[in-house]
Amino acid sequence: MRVLRWVFQIAVVGAVVGLLLVLIGNVRSNSSELGIPTGYDYLDNPAGFPIADSDFNQRQPVRDAIRIGVINTLRVSLIGIVLATVLGTLIGLARLSQNWLLRNAARVYVEVIRNIPLLLIVIFAYAGIALVLFPRITEPWEPLGIAIISNRGVVVPWHDASGWGIVAVGAVAGVVAWLVARLRRRHADRTGTPARSGLWGGVAFAVVAAAGWLLVGADVTLPELAGRGTTGGIRMSPEFFAILFALVVYTASHIAEIVRGSIQAVPRGQAEAASALALSGFQRSWFVVLPQAFRIAVPPLGNQYLNLTKNSTLGSAVSYFELAQVTSISVANGAPAVPSYLLTLLIFLAISLVLSLVVNVVNRRLALVER
Amino acid sequence: MTEAVFADATQVTGSGEPIIVLEGVDKFFGDFQALKDINLRVGRREVVVVIGPSGSGKSTMIRCINRLEKHDAGRIVVDGTELSDDLRNIQEIRRETGMVFQQFNLFPHLTVLDNIALAPRQVRKLPKRVAEEAAMQLLERVQIPEQARKYPGQLSGGQQQRVAIARALAMTPKVMLFDEPTSALDPEMINEVLDVMKDLAREGMTMMVITHEMGFAREVADRVVFMADAQIVEVGTPQHFFEDPQEERTKLFLSQIL
Amino acid sequence: MGIPFAPSPPGRVTRWVRRNLFRTPFDGVVTVVGGALALYVVYRLVRFVLVTGRWDVVRDNLKLFMVGRYPTVHLPRVSVSVIVAALAAGLVAGIVHRRQLAAGTSTVAHLSPAARVLDLVQRFWPVLLGAVLVLALTTTPGPTLTAVGALIAAVLGRVVGARLPKRSHWVVVLAAVATPFVLVGYLADALGWDGWGGMMLNIFLAVVSIILCFPLGVFMALGRRSHLPLIRWLCTGLIEVVRGAPLFVLLLMANVALGFFVPREWAPSDVMRAITVFTIFTGAYVAEIVRGGLQSLPRGQEEAGRALGLSPARVTFLIVLPQALRNVIPAQVGQFISLFKDTVLVGAAMGLFEVLRVATAVTTQGEFQGQNLLPETFGFVALLFWVGSYTMSQESQRIEHKLGVGER
Repeated sequence: MRVLRWVFQIAVVGAVVGLLLVLIGNVRSNSSELGIPTGYDYLDNPAGFPIADSDFNQRQPVRDAIRIGVINTLRVSLIGIVLATVLGTLIGLARLSQNWLLRNAARVYVEVIRNIPLLLIVIFAYAGIALVLFPRITEPWEPLGIAIISNRGVVVPWHDASGWGIVAVGAVAGVVAWLVARLRRRHADRTGTPARSGLWGGVAFAVVAAAGWLLVGADVTLPELAGRGTTGGIRMSPEFFAILFALVVYTASHIAEIVRGSIQAVPRGQAEAASALALSGFQRSWFVVLPQAFRIAVPPLGNQYLNLTKNSTLGSAVSYFELAQVTSISVANGAPAVPSYLLTLLIFLAISLVLSLVVNVVNRRLALVER
Repeated sequence: MTEAVFADATQVTGSGEPIIVLEGVDKFFGDFQALKDINLRVGRREVVVVIGPSGSGKSTMIRCINRLEKHDAGRIVVDGTELSDDLRNIQEIRRETGMVFQQFNLFPHLTVLDNIALAPRQVRKLPKRVAEEAAMQLLERVQIPEQARKYPGQLSGGQQQRVAIARALAMTPKVMLFDEPTSALDPEMINEVLDVMKDLAREGMTMMVITHEMGFAREVADRVVFMADAQIVEVGTPQHFFEDPQEERTKLFLSQIL
Repeated sequence: MGIPFAPSPPGRVTRWVRRNLFRTPFDGVVTVVGGALALYVVYRLVRFVLVTGRWDVVRDNLKLFMVGRYPTVHLPRVSVSVIVAALAAGLVAGIVHRRQLAAGTSTVAHLSPAARVLDLVQRFWPVLLGAVLVLALTTTPGPTLTAVGALIAAVLGRVVGARLPKRSHWVVVLAAVATPFVLVGYLADALGWDGWGGMMLNIFLAVVSIILCFPLGVFMALGRRSHLPLIRWLCTGLIEVVRGAPLFVLLLMANVALGFFVPREWAPSDVMRAITVFTIFTGAYVAEIVRGGLQSLPRGQEEAGRALGLSPARVTFLIVLPQALRNVIPAQVGQFISLFKDTVLVGAAMGLFEVLRVATAVTTQGEFQGQNLLPETFGFVALLFWVGSYTMSQESQRIEHKLGVGER
């Protein structure tokens, strides 16, 4: 019986390995027939295509293009994750509101957005909003005279990115805020007055950051029109806007459901016990319900973050140069298809693994202690 | 409610004015009436045990007293404060009443000590050190001081329920409500919880206890209230109640459980 | 979201309004501001649908939206397919109803026929709405006749299905599962694989991939729980690699790189490539869902089966798997909804003429060019997907309630 099992397993694995070998053989023979190389030497060849919104030069190697693609993927994913979490949490809480209007408005949002394809939102955000609703660059909106909104993108004032001064200011402000918050908590523990450590820390951060920023020079560049473009400030391209907008709007509808479900999954008895102890509505949520809901929400949230990162590849439908777009453009410009796509898959696999590792670690640290 | 039952229900044992008053309380869940014209008074330092078949409205009744359920008609007064929609009144009453649940409902993400100290710190605004010292004293009173730094999930059911009692006592309530505190426990753990409750009763705490532990009722109760079909059917001293029940419904119930 | 009412004292409406709209001053502000905003949005939406929308772009291209470039002379084939599919669905619904009656789990058994129709309308109002809107845009009688025929076929199937002898049930269900393949062959007979387009292509991709990915997913799930280490590692590796990959990249890859993996004369058609990718991709997710279902089953079930002397294979297929699959129906439906929505990716990734691509293409043709008609065309496509996905998700919630999953 045991022998049979091993024979069976080896046969299956053998078949799979054989299939792989045949496939690899096919790739080799097909490639050599077409005169396409199969190795990864192409990474050092000149890319042969430009990348919008970067100082990438088309004589630089493919390797650099891929690096920019990875950075762009991570950039839109990280910003998207933060914004989608904020929006999704608000909508999820709104779904539990006692206000009929708010509750149902949130419900309509979720039920509509969740049930239409993401790609539709992406393309619509690009061709239906960013390029059409925003005015032409020759007659842009300039709200308060500090930002320029046009179909060439949204430009807002930005700190002139020179030197590490601003980073240092941020770090100092962070430390001060942390110290103030800690002091407040200690004080609260001693006297029993409310800590409000978040508020105090936030104010401390704002004050120190503002002072430090003035100290290092307060260089801000305002966006200015320059011909059919702009200079100064920081610019968000219509492509970036479209994919970010769509990812946030779409993922928020899923996160809203997770938030709602997690809060509802906290047993009723918990809120009742808190009420019976005369905790107020806010205290009930803050000390009892939300910490437990957060725990429940972590694994599915991690899943949504992973989905969002993978969905950022839809940026290539609107020519946002994330990894998939870089890959398909470089293949169109002569990079061999099989190695290029395998590399892309590998990079995404690595991103997924890192993300799920983080989720697992967070999950384990939050796990309830049981006996 | 017959006049005789009404008299028994509203006549508190001993002297002094009642601390809990329910007058003509009705409660509906949709079309289902969970409480029908409930009249009951509980005196200071009195222990009232409520028994009855499941679904008879016992839980609903004591959950109305601290507004975990909202009653639809009638009056509920606790220590001179009438329960109304006013949030201040509700909080006032909740501060004066401790509650112990069948499923313990300890906060699983907080240590035993934090479970007990949470409400004194947040509601009574006690300094952390003071609240924690008081919590330790309570844990000694329920005889598990060594578990203070553990999480509820690490304790046995009996220990958890004792922590829950300590948590309710931490707000120094004038009244304690017990909603089937031993029903979710393994048999060997029931007594450790009942012992704590007996001590409380001996110290003069006003208590309303829903339980199926007839031994406890006989030993500790000043009065026993029997509920069925959303109504109070019979009220009497334990002796009277168990030896000489008046109502058919009561006799039937007692014959089923004894 | 029922609001528990006390038995009605006067002023029920006032009380409801106060409790649900003006509980606190802040609440009142939210209601007033939000209400104004909501009214404005609804007003704009209604105006767009009834007044300002240029729906002629949809009306003129309706055939392109629905069936792509399917030859007009062969359109009766589409009608026949829709009617046959409706009949099959009706038959299965009838059988399910019969079984629920027998098991006493039917929720409509006590209802009068009129109430049952009302129940159906409540459940499938999005489909009705979608059908009415699409039919309102048609200019020929064909689609309306098809819809009426499908309705009659569904009712007929439902009536007949409920009266079929119990022994024939498995034959009918098998036939219903086989129906899509027969219909696909019948439809493809007229124009081959790569001429497919429009919503028909999206539905076709979704249905075929759903049917194919299911057994694949179940076997991968069983493989991942196998006692044989090599099999377990193989399945785990495959599942995790596929789940870590973006579907869009897999489709891009299938488009330009799949051809390298097979001898060139075998190179599959675009539609076949898309189906391959969808099947493997969704199969990996289905595998994880099924594995969850298997894990959540109490160990006692397997032990009880063993104790009865059943072989391990029988325990798996007769006892464990049926329960596990039943418990994960809602999650499966969720995955299938994703798949249905993801079919639009084949347009951007592989250049197939699916409905979203139609929606983009028609805004650039002659008379409609440069007028920003994307809101109209995309709105129409969004409606089609919304109808399908929302109905599926509502039905899956019904099943979830019935299974008592997630209830405390």
